[in-house]
Amino acid sequence: MTGRPYAAIIGAGRTRFGELWYENPESMVVKAGLEALESVEKGLHRADIQACYLGSFMYQVTNKLGLVPGYISRELGLNIPMSQTEAACASSSSALHNACLAIRSGMYDVVLVGGFEKMTDRYGKIVDDLMFAADPREFDAGFTFSGLYAAMMARYMYDFGKGDDRCRIALAQIAVKNHQHAVNNPYAQFRSRITVEDVFKSPLIADPVRLLHCSPISDGAVAVVLCRPEIARRYTDDPVYIVASQQATDHVSLYSRTSTVEIKATRLAVGKALREAGIGLKDIRLAEVHDCFTIEECLFMEDSGFYRKGEGWRGIYESIESFQGGKHIPYVGDGWEVFVNVGGGLKADGHPVGATGLRQVYECFKQMRGEAGANQVDVEGGIKYALCHNIGGTGGIANVHILTREVTL
Amino acid sequence: MSEPITRRKILVDYRIRVSRCEICGRRYFPPKPFCDVEGRRSRIRYEDYFYRKGLFYSGAVIRRPTNRFSYLGSFISCIVEFDGGVRTPGRITDIVPDEGEVDVSEFIGREVVPRFRRTYVDGESGLIYYSSLAFSFADDYYEYREYKPVKPSEGSEKPGIVGYGVYIPKFRVKNTNPAMGGGVIERAVPFPDEDATTFAVEAGRRALIHSALDSRYIGKCYIGSESTPYAVKPSASTVIQALELGEPYEDGFFTGGLDTQFACKAATDLFIDAVALVSCPLFKADYVMVIGADNSQAAPGDPLDYTVGAGAAAYIFGKRDVIATLDHYVSYTSDTPDFYRRDGEKYPRHGGRFTGEPAYFKHVTTAMKTILRRSGLKPGDISYVALHSPNIKYPVRAALSVGFTMDQIRPGLVNRYLGNLYSGSSPTALAAILDIAEPGDRVLLVSYGSGAGSDAYIFTVTEKVEEKRDRAVSVRSQIENPKRRYVDYATYRKWKEASSV
Repeated sequence: MTGRPYAAIIGAGRTRFGELWYENPESMVVKAGLEALESVEKGLHRADIQACYLGSFMYQVTNKLGLVPGYISRELGLNIPMSQTEAACASSSSALHNACLAIRSGMYDVVLVGGFEKMTDRYGKIVDDLMFAADPREFDAGFTFSGLYAAMMARYMYDFGKGDDRCRIALAQIAVKNHQHAVNNPYAQFRSRITVEDVFKSPLIADPVRLLHCSPISDGAVAVVLCRPEIARRYTDDPVYIVASQQATDHVSLYSRTSTVEIKATRLAVGKALREAGIGLKDIRLAEVHDCFTIEECLFMEDSGFYRKGEGWRGIYESIESFQGGKHIPYVGDGWEVFVNVGGGLKADGHPVGATGLRQVYECFKQMRGEAGANQVDVEGGIKYALCHNIGGTGGIANVHILTREVTL
Repeated sequence: MSEPITRRKILVDYRIRVSRCEICGRRYFPPKPFCDVEGRRSRIRYEDYFYRKGLFYSGAVIRRPTNRFSYLGSFISCIVEFDGGVRTPGRITDIVPDEGEVDVSEFIGREVVPRFRRTYVDGESGLIYYSSLAFSFADDYYEYREYKPVKPSEGSEKPGIVGYGVYIPKFRVKNTNPAMGGGVIERAVPFPDEDATTFAVEAGRRALIHSALDSRYIGKCYIGSESTPYAVKPSASTVIQALELGEPYEDGFFTGGLDTQFACKAATDLFIDAVALVSCPLFKADYVMVIGADNSQAAPGDPLDYTVGAGAAAYIFGKRDVIATLDHYVSYTSDTPDFYRRDGEKYPRHGGRFTGEPAYFKHVTTAMKTILRRSGLKPGDISYVALHSPNIKYPVRAALSVGFTMDQIRPGLVNRYLGNLYSGSSPTALAAILDIAEPGDRVLLVSYGSGAGSDAYIFTVTEKVEEKRDRAVSVRSQIENPKRRYVDYATYRKWKEASSV
């Protein structure tokens, strides 16, 4: 039984993801924010916004910015409360979580939530700076982010693949699927199809991770407008409600966690979110999942409970191998079918770190309202529930939001 | 990184410090003051893995490193699991991965051993960071020995050498031009994350293992070197902290130490001081460590560029469980500017042929003849001669001229395969002899340091030498180790430069 929603999403906007050489961080946020405001069908003015919740990771080092609220105040011409949340790749979903709590508290009726990242302005040191989201001793051991995920992937293939080449192929197929999903996404950084062979021929980044196992370096911003659920229909006839907003944390350091082949924070946050929403996994038909590296999408499919631990690769392989036709490839299991990363995920849509969590919400919002245009996913019976899963670092934090259009208020 | 952050990291990373809950046995790295499970009931003890083996848990071959690590090219980063389940991050050192994809799963489960290495340096003028979170595979080049301290014997004897350790890096370069190098046919090459300080720590660790001495009993540490990585800031303090020399107090140790410089005799000059100290009633500790360590420098194309090696030899002097007593000593010095390096200069300069007759031969043979005369011994009374070896020709000619035979000289001529280890040269030759010496053997050590001077010592080997022998990693086994790897001249130069920043 779905409980009272935290908030309703009434508008959403985003920039294209990619190398946005002519944008400043604040100009991207404002573009996405204004698009979100203008997308509210029955009209919403800047003056209606009572607070802003922002999420970003590296603006202080990539753009020498601090006090982001002050920038956004200037750009939007507003003097309302604003706060900025940093939680690495989970920055904007953490901002969204805070916004949900603020609306539920009764403090605000309408808030703007934004996420952004400008990664290409410091291309020469971005690999170093991304390691702020890891333990300093991992940095001192020479690890890069791709290296840390490669260590997860290597151990996963060792523990569960046990030399079966299909495991290696499945971890490449995830990239192939997500690239295919981005072909009709006009905002995506990469809209080209790739093959498993392309993945295996791409340059080695951190064996066993190759370039095409990785999400890219991206710029971009996303914004959504939330309001108190009870007043949502003042603004739109088709609100999407957030019925679960859950967060779990774990060690920042991969090495000190109980397992390197499980994201415990994902398992905990998904479990809590499903209980909060009062639904089962099988009710989820669309999931926007954190696929910074393909192994992470595979781990999500297990840690969420879709596949049993160690069998995700097999499920993925069989789903993709048996797929025929259509533009979106679902994962299938025992009595369930779920479409994952229909906009291309982090892999192909792009991964401006602090924008990604909200990009997932944007995608679900558009898909659930049937507004995804040429990239609209065709789900038999419609998408009743969608899930957004966003993690920070190598799993130090996980935010899970569950969205639906059907609630009883 | 800042100086305070560095100091805090040193306390954890030099020894791989772990906290352990005495109630439930859970371990934590980085260490923390309470146990997650026991909470307020926690009883925390700290332990370290400086001498322990771990297992490669997982890892990756880093092909696109951070800027900080670009000096290493491609390398393996990993997670290491120790006894009790605690895991640390680490880097596998001394391996250059193939260009094609490496199957990381083949490393999983293999034993690894901590090595004391640089992590990276802050440019030309910033701090140099060291850590033991660098590992080599246990079946790689470095032979593993357990550190099992035993209680020293009661009473005191004539002072001398209690233990020693030699560290030679894994890599070698061959001298392809036989006309150059004066008989040196191959030389030890540092990996880019090594320097004289890391050599000193590794040699010192081996000396502690060999002597089976609790490191807290050592009260002084001298590092003789002409390539210490800092112009000002002692390598000795790094070695003392890493090896925990002396009685611990708060986060430091009741030990003195300093870096010394007298070209290639910077270490041997201190042997007599070490013996004097342990014999001095004012000096409350019982043992002194002296290390000769050099990442020997030479300008590209210079004749020295065909002879320089890399490595260190460490000696512990004391009055208990002595393996070789010190019986005679002579030192001879004159202001002879045959070889020098001005402050701030990268490479030493030398006087070419002037380094021979008026420099090396004059000082070495004077010291050698004098010690024989003063001790009343003849060349035939000496079992072996260990000499400073800038090449092979010089020591052979010097020793033969005083009346020694090749049989006495040959066992110490290890620089043929290691190159000139500068401050570590004659100490390594001495170690190669102690590796094979029998009780009762007399060993003559003659060093040479440009600038210029020679120290001569006569030691007599005791029965204790055999008891400790199995704990040594012999010089010969390092020379012949089948896991040693050869690099070409260009790589040798590149690594030498990287390790000298």
